[in-house]
Amino acid sequence: MFLLGGLFSAKANDLLEVESDCIWKNTDFEYFCDTCGCGGNGGSMGFGTGLNNNFIGLRYIGQKYRSRDGIFDNSPWINENFNTVQAWGKFPVSKRVLLNALLPYHFHNRTFADNTEQRIEGVGDATVLAYYLLLSQTPDSLVSIGAEHTLQIGGGVKVPTGSFDAANIEGTVNPSFQLGTGSWDYLFATNYGVVHRNWGLSASVNYTLKTENSTNYQFGNQWNLTLNTYKTYYVSNTISLTPQVGLGSEIFSENKEFGLKVSDTGGEVYFARLGFETNYKRYSFGISSMLPISQNLNNGKVEVKNRVSLYLNINI
Amino acid sequence: MKSIYKILALTLVLTVFVSCSSDDDTATELIGENSVTLEFDNSVGSDDLLLATSSYTNSQNETLTITRLNYIVSNFRLTNDQGETFTYEKDDSYFVTSEETGNTEVVLENIPAGTYVSITFGVGVDQEKYLQGAEGQGDFLTVAEETNMMWSWQAGYKFLNFEGTFTSETVTETTDFKVHMGSHGSSLDNYKEVTLSLGTDALVSDEMSPIVHLVADANAILDGAHKLSLSEQSVIMVSEEKSPLVALNTASMFTVDHVHNGTGHSH
Repeated sequence: MFLLGGLFSAKANDLLEVESDCIWKNTDFEYFCDTCGCGGNGGSMGFGTGLNNNFIGLRYIGQKYRSRDGIFDNSPWINENFNTVQAWGKFPVSKRVLLNALLPYHFHNRTFADNTEQRIEGVGDATVLAYYLLLSQTPDSLVSIGAEHTLQIGGGVKVPTGSFDAANIEGTVNPSFQLGTGSWDYLFATNYGVVHRNWGLSASVNYTLKTENSTNYQFGNQWNLTLNTYKTYYVSNTISLTPQVGLGSEIFSENKEFGLKVSDTGGEVYFARLGFETNYKRYSFGISSMLPISQNLNNGKVEVKNRVSLYLNINI
Repeated sequence: MKSIYKILALTLVLTVFVSCSSDDDTATELIGENSVTLEFDNSVGSDDLLLATSSYTNSQNETLTITRLNYIVSNFRLTNDQGETFTYEKDDSYFVTSEETGNTEVVLENIPAGTYVSITFGVGVDQEKYLQGAEGQGDFLTVAEETNMMWSWQAGYKFLNFEGTFTSETVTETTDFKVHMGSHGSSLDNYKEVTLSLGTDALVSDEMSPIVHLVADANAILDGAHKLSLSEQSVIMVSEEKSPLVALNTASMFTVDHVHNGTGHSH
């Protein structure tokens, strides 16, 4: 059943779901493009999710990259730090429809070989995503005997509230050093989760369709796939701990400019994910990290080093 | 069930949006004129060329440290996707690119709007230009003198000024090398033309001035199709035998790495 569920969700395409409180519970949700706002390496940090909870929260995401400043084999590597604080939440619209919303604030920096530093800071691209619950857990599922399945599909839009600076795509360094893509992008998401006793498994498939922005630049479309398992330990009536391990991958199409492919863009990266969430009454505090297992981004000219995420959510 | 229809409707609307927006790609009409920037980025193989600070060993087992790489590029022509060729004004068509001064950019002004697919240019100065005499050279004579690209007016332009030091199995002491290639007056014509496909279309219009990023692989000068050993001859200047081979090698050192379309103010 687990396998079947996983296969099914891997076929569907959609996107994120901002989940809540026990974030590992059930599905997990990989929200990416909010993070780096952009194409080549949309920093995404997965979060697992509890499909049953509605919440508001704050999350910090730190991403470290290094990218080649130049076209040659001996061109210098420069370090890039992408930092994001985002407000996010999940709200019920009806019994079967959920709305996820997310507004990031980015503060990125990178240091060039001559020690000059470039900083960009500001609001990123806001995302709104609606989910329809095809299958949902019964309220007492956490203690039920049999396995409980959940399945959500959704669609949404990423609004170009973040600024896109054409100057940052002109060099030969990582073109994704941006606050936003500058484009209206469309998201499709599917999340599947299954819980049995204290164990859970979640899978998600997300696709982001990116359009051309006002400077005729178009970041490549993006697939995000995740698979997570977790176990919840109930320490007391009000406290539970949930460690999680998982895999994630991101696959990017090539960027385009004036409809022409941009060289050294696109690629893919596979991550191992580790996370830990603590729940206390209405609060969830989580920490997670993603480490690349294998990658080939921007023709080898951009490398993800790691991602770290911290969040605090309040269930509503 | 109502909700599922809503979702389906939403998805449909989004799909329509997306389909529409992706159709615009090639709809833009290119009108007016603008500049085309050619960036000549010098390399040694796949590494960036770093003057004086790094050395490399070529296939002839000679280890070179390059201290100078200047060359003349000229007579630019751009061919568009219709097969039409635009020839740049001949009198304005001579440039020296120099790694040591960092002046490696050639800006061609007032190029008519179009979708350009290939570029043709000369390495050196053609006989027609040279035979116009010293007065016919305009400012370029001064430019060439200032960048060490002239022997004397009688001997003519150096099309290539490639210098440094080397060692090899037989030459174990660090030894200077000088490769100065030119046409040697009008007796030996070493002017060569190069045509390169741009790979990505270069779009020119009132709003768009593309940058074509070329790579010139300095290793090809001695170690290209024709192998020239510095151990055998470390100063190649007026050589009826070797200069033509240097000219052929030099003409083959250029490739287009990528084209950057857009407003092209910086790179």
